[in-house]
Amino acid sequence: MGRYIIRRLLQAIPLLILVSVVVFILIHLLPGGPERVLFNPRLSAAAREALKVRLGLDKPIWLQYVFWLKGAVTGDFGNSFADGQLVISDIGARVPATIELFGAALLFALIIAVPLGIISAVRQYGLADYSITILGYFGISMPIFFFALIMQEIFSVKLGWLPDFGRSSDADFATGFDYFLDYLLHLILPMIVLSLAFMAGWSRYMRSSMLEVIRQDYMRTARAKGLGPVRVLLRHGIRNALIPLLTIVALDFGGIAGGAAVTETIFAWPGLGRLFLDALSARDYPVLLAMLLMSAVVVVLFNLIADVLYGVLDPRIRFG
Amino acid sequence: MESLLEINNLKTHFRTRDGWVHAVDGVSFNIAPGEKLGVVGESGCGKSVTALSIMRLVQRPPGEIVDGSILFGGQDLLDISESSMRKVRGKQIGMIFQDPLNSLNPVMTIGNQITEVLELHLGLRGQAARNRTVELLREVGIPEAEKRLHSYPHQFSGGMRQRVMIAMALACRPQLIIADEPTTALDVTVQAQILELINSISTEYKSAVMLITHDLGVVAGMTDRVVVMYAGNVIEMAPTDELFANPRHPYTLGLLASVPRLDEERQDMLTPIEGSPPDLLHPPQGCRFAPRCLFVTNQCKNPPPLRNVGSNHIAACWYDINNPAEQQRAEARRAARLRQLEQLDATAQTIVASTLDEQTTAN
Amino acid sequence: MSSTSQQVIPPSLPEGESLDFLTLTPQLARKRRSQLRIIADRFVRNRIAVVGMVVLAIITLATIFAPFLTHASAVDPDPSIKLDLNNIFGAPSLLHPLGTDELGRDELARILYGGRVSLLVGISSMAVALLFGIGIGTFAGYYGGLLDNLLMRFTDVILAIPLYLLLFVLSASFSNGSVLNVVFLIAIFGWTYTARLVRGEFLALKEREFVLAARTLGATNMRLMLRHILPNAAGPIIVNATLLVGANIILESVLSFFGFGIQIPLASWGSMVATARDYFLEDPILVWAPGLCILIVVLSFNLMGDGLRDALDPYLTER
Repeated sequence: MGRYIIRRLLQAIPLLILVSVVVFILIHLLPGGPERVLFNPRLSAAAREALKVRLGLDKPIWLQYVFWLKGAVTGDFGNSFADGQLVISDIGARVPATIELFGAALLFALIIAVPLGIISAVRQYGLADYSITILGYFGISMPIFFFALIMQEIFSVKLGWLPDFGRSSDADFATGFDYFLDYLLHLILPMIVLSLAFMAGWSRYMRSSMLEVIRQDYMRTARAKGLGPVRVLLRHGIRNALIPLLTIVALDFGGIAGGAAVTETIFAWPGLGRLFLDALSARDYPVLLAMLLMSAVVVVLFNLIADVLYGVLDPRIRFG
Repeated sequence: MESLLEINNLKTHFRTRDGWVHAVDGVSFNIAPGEKLGVVGESGCGKSVTALSIMRLVQRPPGEIVDGSILFGGQDLLDISESSMRKVRGKQIGMIFQDPLNSLNPVMTIGNQITEVLELHLGLRGQAARNRTVELLREVGIPEAEKRLHSYPHQFSGGMRQRVMIAMALACRPQLIIADEPTTALDVTVQAQILELINSISTEYKSAVMLITHDLGVVAGMTDRVVVMYAGNVIEMAPTDELFANPRHPYTLGLLASVPRLDEERQDMLTPIEGSPPDLLHPPQGCRFAPRCLFVTNQCKNPPPLRNVGSNHIAACWYDINNPAEQQRAEARRAARLRQLEQLDATAQTIVASTLDEQTTAN
Repeated sequence: MSSTSQQVIPPSLPEGESLDFLTLTPQLARKRRSQLRIIADRFVRNRIAVVGMVVLAIITLATIFAPFLTHASAVDPDPSIKLDLNNIFGAPSLLHPLGTDELGRDELARILYGGRVSLLVGISSMAVALLFGIGIGTFAGYYGGLLDNLLMRFTDVILAIPLYLLLFVLSASFSNGSVLNVVFLIAIFGWTYTARLVRGEFLALKEREFVLAARTLGATNMRLMLRHILPNAAGPIIVNATLLVGANIILESVLSFFGFGIQIPLASWGSMVATARDYFLEDPILVWAPGLCILIVVLSFNLMGDGLRDALDPYLTER
């Protein structure tokens, strides 16, 4: 297993290098390059030249790439064009928010999807299965921004139960607990919106996984031993059915960078998605490059985790 | 002597889109305490379904036990509640399945799978359960039992896995063990070992055994009595030796004749029974074996009852196939059939030959 | 002579009796159906999938025949829908079944014309993705080796970058909001799955005997690929294509919502939701209508796709 991991990591490196090249090219294809930033009419021509040199923009493009990559490997992505801060700290500031939102959404989706999938499978073709399946279809067909707008409108504007955007209110709270409560309230709506698609997809997957498991001979053996239906399901069935689902969850987690962008925008959640969009319109190259590369790393990493997870959870692979 | 298990007129049917399949259609037999009974028949004759019916493990849709009674230990298993049935399964009746690889949970250690039964029925926990499990594993012949507690099914060979299944089935010292084709999925060399194991351990535990198989060789060395099933019915039942020496049903006769024997002169061809079993969606009226039977007459359109044909020997046939006259009749039929087949063969040869001629002349 | 029927009777009956009671019990002479017929039957039995298909057909036809269903005087595009600044946010009426939008235009007309764009983009991008995917998958799977490796690396690179981020960047660089651009943009996403699918099929079937047989008969590589192996993948490809349209429509709508996809003067359902967002309070219909349309259309494609998958699945256990 250890060797497998090392091998995969080694394979990932050339892939990521390729990705970095592609990403670099892509970003530099954006119309209105860094010159836009430099296009500050108050700067004299000389100052502009000096700025160019300082930012390394006078070098040939491939050299720029090399310098960038060298920095990237050590985590130095340079400074943001927009606010001059270190890119890495700009990104770092936003990461917690995105992880909170995304993580909460995935957890929520998992908690709901697994029981739904199980019920659906055990009561196949029954009313529960029917309803859950229908909801599942709606969930995967729903455009997320529409759902977000509707939820925002209903729960925030009309009913006023939940705040409509942001991560926290500006108010001063008396206690830390109040801050936390306020934070939770802000989290609920975007979390539910983001979790919908996952919930729907995973419950369908859990259902089919469970159906497969129910058909297996060892379930019959368990009953032949005198186990009651609940124990058979819990001890023998779910364990087997959950394994493939968890690898899917790991894979989906890898989509954290792009996945939250839509939700973050609509709910004005201060996360990475919004950072990206702002950087895009500002042509903030360093930020864009850094985000693209880092999110690719995350995707590749979680692909690897998903594979390894399967090996860890399934004794047939662990003790091959 | 009172029977341990008494099956009366069991009928288990399956609902399909095209109608009801009569998988088990009026089966009756008994098993005495400590007796080893073989249940023999070809695929689809209903022997597995009978076993599952005893355990009430038949899938509710589409299967239904529509009639009959199964008396075990003084109660009708078809009458008792599900929770009472659960106390019977694994504790009083143990079952061994055909494919040990798929019948064991791949993500649980075999130790846990065995202790599960002990915990459930005998209330053993922790170290006590583990000790008994190790003991069981030793009894079924698994080396290094202590270490093997933490192994997973896929780490064993087929024969070892089946031993684990046997250990699991016998954990609570059941009064009856049902073994459904326990050796079919195993290598030939291992088969004998497993059968021997089932034999000895059941004798030691004083458990009765219901051994289901399609292989006559399997029952020969091991069982006291044999039940022969065909198309959902019992068609013959006799003590093992008697059955082999003196089969009284044409089907049994055919079965025995189709098995190549070491002690006979080598034949050129094996003699299978022509045809295939009937469609159980619409079972034929009358004797179900009639379409394939060499002894058939018009009388067979009435279903033959199980008649006494000897000591403790019953068979469902109108005719006494030991009667020389009957045998002649059957022999004549067979000869005629062989002639017909030879004719067909010759015709086919000529057609092929002429086609080849045409081709060569054409080229 | 001996068959699966119940007719295996030794022919000569010394007694001369007839054994008529052994003739075939009635029933079971199944009509032979062609494979296509079988699949179609199975699909039709899935009522929900059929409903999806019908709904889709209705909506598609409605968008095609938009000019006949609305008051727009010309066939295309938005500008032909009359502005009427005196009647903004009008309530639903006989004249305007869905009311009017922020510029007084008939909302129903806008929905139908917007639907044209959304559906067109969804389906065309699927076609493009399919073409690319089949092409790449075929070559990768058939030739294997280095070509396969290269193509798969390429696919991996595309898949490593989060889809939406990639699309945002690409559209900022290349897209001018026209249908053509958006179609190609979205197609980038779709071909990866098709390619994997087709490649898998090729890898599996490449070594089978029938391929060897065809080759000994002198079939060229191209012929082998197209006529022998590819048809086997037809089923999964069709399912994949159907589901892909739904995914593409959602993609396009998200892009348009952010201003990266379809841009004015054109409108798609996604961009309509984006503009209507600011007017949610004044006229919620403007958000609900296009949003629901997206939902219903994508839902229909998904239902249809799943129905097709079940109908084509050879191992589906019958109820």
